[in-house]
Amino acid sequence: MKRLVLLVGIVFIISVGSYYLIHLLPGDPAVVVLGFGATPAAKAAFYAQVGLNKPFYLQYFVWMGHVLHGNLGTSFITGDTVLSKIRSALPIDLEIIFLSQILAFAAAIPAAMRSARKPDGVVDRILGASSFTLLSIPPYIIVVFAVLLISIKLGLAATGPSAYVGFGTSPLNNLESLSLPAVTLAIGSFVVYYRVLRSDLIATLQEEFITMARSKGLSQRRIMWRHAFRPSSVALLGAASVNIGGLLAAGFVVQYLLAIPGLGYTLIAAINNDDFLLVQGIVLVVSVGVVLINFIFDFIINVVDPRISRE
Amino acid sequence: MSDEKLLVVKDLKTTFDTANGLLPAVGGVSFDLDRNETLGIVGESGSGKTVLSRTIMGLQPRTKVSVTGSAVIDGFEVVGASENDKRKIWGTEVAMVFQDPMTSLNPVMRIGKQIDEALRVRLGMDKAAAKARAIELLELVGIPSPQERYDAYPGMLSGGMRQRVVIAIALACSPKLLMADEPTTGLDVTIQAQILNLLDELKDRLKMSVILVTHDLGVVATRTSRIVVMYAGRIVETGNTRDVFYHHRMPYTKALLESSPKVSNHSHTRLVTIPGRPPNLLNLPDGCAFAPRCSYATDQCHLVRPELEPSSEPGHTFACWNPLPVNEEGALA
Amino acid sequence: MSNVRLAEIQILEGSRKKGEPLGILFWICVGWIALNVFVAIFANVLPFQNPLNEDFTALNAAPSLHHLFGADDLGRDILARVAYGSRVSISVGIGAMIIGFGVGAPLGMLAAYRRGRFDAILTTVMYVMLAFPAIIATIAVLSFWTPRSLTKIIIVIGVASIPLVYRVIRTATLSVATKDYVVAAKVQGATDRRILMKELLPNIAPIGISFLLIGIATVVTLEGALAFLGLSVTPPTPSWGNMINEARTILQTNPWLVIFPSLALCLFLLCLNFIGDRIRTHFDVTEVKL
Repeated sequence: MKRLVLLVGIVFIISVGSYYLIHLLPGDPAVVVLGFGATPAAKAAFYAQVGLNKPFYLQYFVWMGHVLHGNLGTSFITGDTVLSKIRSALPIDLEIIFLSQILAFAAAIPAAMRSARKPDGVVDRILGASSFTLLSIPPYIIVVFAVLLISIKLGLAATGPSAYVGFGTSPLNNLESLSLPAVTLAIGSFVVYYRVLRSDLIATLQEEFITMARSKGLSQRRIMWRHAFRPSSVALLGAASVNIGGLLAAGFVVQYLLAIPGLGYTLIAAINNDDFLLVQGIVLVVSVGVVLINFIFDFIINVVDPRISRE
Repeated sequence: MSDEKLLVVKDLKTTFDTANGLLPAVGGVSFDLDRNETLGIVGESGSGKTVLSRTIMGLQPRTKVSVTGSAVIDGFEVVGASENDKRKIWGTEVAMVFQDPMTSLNPVMRIGKQIDEALRVRLGMDKAAAKARAIELLELVGIPSPQERYDAYPGMLSGGMRQRVVIAIALACSPKLLMADEPTTGLDVTIQAQILNLLDELKDRLKMSVILVTHDLGVVATRTSRIVVMYAGRIVETGNTRDVFYHHRMPYTKALLESSPKVSNHSHTRLVTIPGRPPNLLNLPDGCAFAPRCSYATDQCHLVRPELEPSSEPGHTFACWNPLPVNEEGALA
Repeated sequence: MSNVRLAEIQILEGSRKKGEPLGILFWICVGWIALNVFVAIFANVLPFQNPLNEDFTALNAAPSLHHLFGADDLGRDILARVAYGSRVSISVGIGAMIIGFGVGAPLGMLAAYRRGRFDAILTTVMYVMLAFPAIIATIAVLSFWTPRSLTKIIIVIGVASIPLVYRVIRTATLSVATKDYVVAAKVQGATDRRILMKELLPNIAPIGISFLLIGIATVVTLEGALAFLGLSVTPPTPSWGNMINEARTILQTNPWLVIFPSLALCLFLLCLNFIGDRIRTHFDVTEVKL
């Protein structure tokens, strides 16, 4: 429970931080809205109207108050509420992350088990070398080349695969449109999970209780899955928490490239449009999201390995 | 069938392929074991006794190890057997009790389940029957309130209790041979006695043979019928426990016996130590491996390695060019 | 970005391949990196064409004797642009890491060694900064802080990397500082400074260097990502990132514009990651179980 307090504290500090950061940035909302020719008087009036003339900390509290009521403000530029924009964009990000992680785990776990059983064997070496190579290729390059390949193979225009389709509209098309970003993110995650799990499994397999399990006459399969995996999964979860926390932001560039309207795309568009409120809102949401994810994972880890909670 | 030996080991050699060269951890060991017999394998750390115990069971690591020779358990040849074949005897014919119960139990699995596992996978029992039998086994090894302990994690139990659980798991499928590798090292002295008594008792009840591997002569003194003394991967003396204790011929055995502190010594008696250090197995000297540290060593001892030769007592052999002398009754002079 | 996460995890958990020899592959990679750095430094005295020179006779040309890597859509020699582009990537990588390590590493070591209030406050601050996705901050700041320049990019990325460096170095120092030989030195009355230099530093150095190299790789990757968002150096200055970005629209007409910078980038990253990883496993001397 101490962690919950810590969590709230961190979120608080982040919200202050993001608010402050946005305000630090050059660029004058009055100018944006009213145009370059705005007179000082008009600007002052604008500030008063929007509440930007109050002292900083007061502004912050007003804003926070709004936020806690679910009101992240209305964008000066587009007129939509920040909240609605985020609401439509966020699920896309979550879906991409979700899909990518399924792929990554589904590939990494069996691969790591296989490698750990026969370290330095043929399979292990191939997987090791290729995973290392994959690690070094930035996601955006994968996207670029994938697009190239797809357009060559399918003869499509080089703008890329089908544009994003919502899940409600057509599940199949939805999955197809998200497949490229999901796979791209999955590759990076796969490498991390594979290596971490493999290394931890090899260490676990050297422990005496594994020899004991062997001496009981249990099958390899059983030993790997029921005895070796569980302690090692702790390391995997730890890696997952670090990884997923960063995935939210990592997917941004890929989204932008493929014109998928997730948070990344929205954020970048907002920045380009000088849409401060939207930028602020997204930054807040993303930061809080990352912290929350880490928190949830810590919790799960405690459930899986009772040793840790007792320490 | 019951007249045949339970275990026959012939010229067993285990060699590790290390980064620094080939390491002959076990350099050619032969002995046998009857049914219902308790044998002690004694030696310092590095003598090869642990590697020997694992090799006999077939539990040596699968890579960078080579094993030659023969170890036959109740007709089954362990050396060279495939993992699948070995799995058939593990648990049901032979079982092992490891040294450190903290590391030999799966720390994130309840102990009841760990016992169940052996019963269900190897004997095909169903859940309820396995649980019942597991609780019986916990009681058998002397764990109080077995029903409640059934759900405990290993971390919740004391060292002695954990070791009892390990023994329970080993006994689950009624093996004929129990290999106990330093089962009491690291436990409190009073607990040690309890565990050893438990093993004694169980061995008689379940008609098992036990091999006790240890560096502690006190452990084997009253509980074994025969002893094997190992040094640098080879047997240097073996025979009935009494013979080895009282009529030993090999100076290493003497040194080993003398270096155990005795309660009967006066206070402030200096502890006797064996001078020098155990040899580096990667670079064994010519001749007897113990010669550099032996106060009785002759030139021949440094040049040629002695083989095991029989003494006047039946079953008692030793490997020494310059053995300790005996008088006519066979007692040490 | 995943290579940073992986590296951090591996550093925190310790490696399993102890004392592994560096191997010939290692030296090949070192050679490649050295070559890249050499080209970056001496690009203008080496026989490259002018990267800004537009040759209308060779628009989107395939590789030939005249243009070894081909030419882009404005007729500029790709080989020259790749060579000059390395300047951007490498200076960003090294510059940002100098900032990140220059500030983050000493702070991390000090905090881990001193503990107490200093450590508690500093670490909390750093961890909060870490919770804030660095990429977003970088993007935000760079978008608004115009006009862009290489220096600004280096500064922004450098500052953003400070918390991460701090965390890794601090964790590594913590695990070393609690080891017995450090405590023993302290008990013997060694001054703090001496302990830092003689006991801690040599043991953290491999991890530090390894992470430094991997950090450079990450920063270079980040520069590429920024280029895709139009936030890297302004054209016509070449950088690997913005070359690939420009190439996106003309993929089918001129694949060379994509292939060569991508190859340059990926090979550079691959070698860096490899060297970083090898250094860590080579120098990590933990006990092996027999």
